[in-house]
Amino acid sequence: MKRTFFTSIILLVCIAFFLSVWGFAQNNKDTLPRRALEKLTLENAAMCEEIKEYTPYNSAVVFSIKIGKVSCFTSFDPVPEKTFIYHKWYHRDKPSTKKKLTLNPPRWSTYSSILLRETDKGPWRVEISDQKGNLLRILRFSITD
Amino acid sequence: MDMLLSFLATIHWQDVADILLLSYILFRLYVLFRGTHVFRVIAGLVILWFFQRIAVFLGLILTSWALQGITAVATLIIIIVFRNEIRSVLQAKNLKAILWSSPIKTAHTPTEVIAESILALSRQHIGALIVFPAMENLRDFVQSGIQWNGLLSKEMIASIFWHDNPVHDGAAIIQEDRITEVGVILPLSYRNDLPSHYGTRHRAALGLAEVTGALIIVVSEETGNVVAAKDSNIIDIGTNDELIKILKDHAGVFEEEKGFFRKEKLELGIAALASLILITAVWFSFSRGLDTLMTLEIPVEYTKSDPKIEIIETSVNAVSLQLGGSSALIKSIRPEQIQVRLDLDKAVAGRNTFSITRDNITLPPGIFLKKVSPSVVEATLEVIIKKALPLQVDWVGKLPEHLILSEIKLDPEKIEIIGGNRILENISTIYTAKIPLDNLQQSGSMMINPVLNPASLKISSESKDQIIVSYVIKPRRQ
Repeated sequence: MKRTFFTSIILLVCIAFFLSVWGFAQNNKDTLPRRALEKLTLENAAMCEEIKEYTPYNSAVVFSIKIGKVSCFTSFDPVPEKTFIYHKWYHRDKPSTKKKLTLNPPRWSTYSSILLRETDKGPWRVEISDQKGNLLRILRFSITD
Repeated sequence: MDMLLSFLATIHWQDVADILLLSYILFRLYVLFRGTHVFRVIAGLVILWFFQRIAVFLGLILTSWALQGITAVATLIIIIVFRNEIRSVLQAKNLKAILWSSPIKTAHTPTEVIAESILALSRQHIGALIVFPAMENLRDFVQSGIQWNGLLSKEMIASIFWHDNPVHDGAAIIQEDRITEVGVILPLSYRNDLPSHYGTRHRAALGLAEVTGALIIVVSEETGNVVAAKDSNIIDIGTNDELIKILKDHAGVFEEEKGFFRKEKLELGIAALASLILITAVWFSFSRGLDTLMTLEIPVEYTKSDPKIEIIETSVNAVSLQLGGSSALIKSIRPEQIQVRLDLDKAVAGRNTFSITRDNITLPPGIFLKKVSPSVVEATLEVIIKKALPLQVDWVGKLPEHLILSEIKLDPEKIEIIGGNRILENISTIYTAKIPLDNLQQSGSMMINPVLNPASLKISSESKDQIIVSYVIKPRRQ
C-alpha cells in the first residue's frame, strides 16, 4: 500500500514534469516566431519638464531656462528584444549630446535629460533613432527666458 | 638724341590726336567768344584755376581749397549769367560756323551810310540813339522795342529820329544792313562822374555799354555832338573817319586793307599757336609728369553667366593694385575708374584657382599697372540645388508662469529651398523669425516668415513664403 502510494506520487511528479516541459515547448513554438516578427515601435515621445511615475509631466514645446532641466521621454511597445536607442540632442543644428538608452522587452519607457544653462536658449531638437541609426522621430522645442 | 628718340617712341597717335583736338576746341572757343564778356570772364576763371594749381603745388591747403570752391561756383555762375550769350553764339550760327568758318567778316554793314546819316542828324541837331549789338542777345537788357526789320538807308534813319515820329525818343537797333527794332528803352547808367551836359540819351547809351559789349552812338539834340559808348567808356567823335573806324572796328568788318587782314590773321595765328602750346603743356603735365606710384585696394568683380552655378567663397574680395603714372594723373584717379573683373564662366563646381593678369584690370588712360597683390585668387563654386527642409519656430521671451505652450502645428511643415549644394548639405532645419511669447495668453495662430541664412538661399517658387503657426496654450500642472 505504502509502496503503491510512493509509486503514484513519483508517477504524478513525472507526469507534471512532462506536462510542464511539453507546455513550455508548445509555448516556445508559439511565442518565439511571433516576437521575431514584431518590430520595435515608438509608442509615445514627448519633451517634458520632468518624469513622474514613469510618465511625462508638463509636456510642452517651449521651456523656460528657469526650470533648470528638460527631458525627452520615449516609450516603446512592443520591444521584441533587448536593444538600445539613441537620443541625439541638437541646439540650432549643432550636435549637443547623444544618449544611448537600453530597452527591455516586452515594453519599455526611458528618458534622457539635459541641464539648462544660459547659453542653451534657442531652438532645439531631439532625434530618436534605433541602434541601427534609423530615425524614429524628431521632437522640436525651444528654450527661452 | 637717344633720349629724344626714346621719348618720341613713347608717343602714340592717340596722344597727338588728343592734343590737336583739344587745341582746336580751345581755339574755336576763343574765335567764337572773343570780344564778349564771356571770354573775359572765362579768361579770369582760367587764371583763377592756374593760381589754384600753384597753391596746390606749394601746399597751401586753405588757399587751394578756397580757390577750388570759387572756381567751381564761378563756373556755374558763368553758365547761368551768360546763358543768353552762350546760346546766341551756339544757336545763331550753324554747325559750319561753329566748327570751321573764318571769323573775318565780309562787309555787310553799310558803315558809310550809317556814318553819313549820323552826321546829317548831327548837323540838324536831331537827337538819336543807335545801338549796334555785339554777340550778346540784348533781350534781357532792353525793353519796349518795336519790330522794324527795315532795310537800312539814310532816309530811314532820318525819319526814325524825326521829331514828330512817335518812336524818335527810343533807341534804334541796327544789325548788319537792317534796322531791326526802334523805340527801344535802354537801361540807364548810375555813374555820377558824367559831364553835366550829358542827357538821358548819354546815360542810356552808357547804361547798355556797361552791361553788354554793344556799341551805342548818341547824337545830342542840344549840341549836335556825336559820342560813342562802348565797354563803360564814352568817346567823343569829331570826324566822319573816326565814326567809320569805330563802326568797322565794332562790326569786325575789314575792307581790302592788307595791313588789317594781316593783323587779324596774325592774331588768329597767335591764338591758334597759344592754344596748341597751352594744351600741349597741360597734356604733358598730366600724362608725362613725374612718375608716381600709388597703391589702391580695388574690389574684385566675379562674373558668371551660368545661373546653375553659384559663387560660394572667394579667397579675396579685393586686390591691392600698385599703379604708376604722372603725379597729376595718379592724383586724379578715383577707385571707381578702376575695375578688376574675373570671368568664372570656365570655372567648375568646387575650388578653382585664377591668376589676375593685366587683361582682368581696367585702368584709365595713362596709368600703368606695376603689381597685383595677391595675384592668385581662389573661388569656390557650387551647383544650385533644391532641398525640402523642415521648419521650426524660434520662440523668444517668456510665457506667464502658470501657462505652458503644449503643442504647435505648422502649415506648411516643410519648405523648399534653393541654394548651393554644399550649403544645403549642412542645413537640416529652417527657422522662422523670432516669435515673442510675452503677449501670448491663449491658443491661437499667426503668420510668420522663415529666416534664410546665409542670404544666398532662396525660397523655391513652389513653396509658400509665409508659415501659419497654430499653437495650443494650457495651464501648467503644478
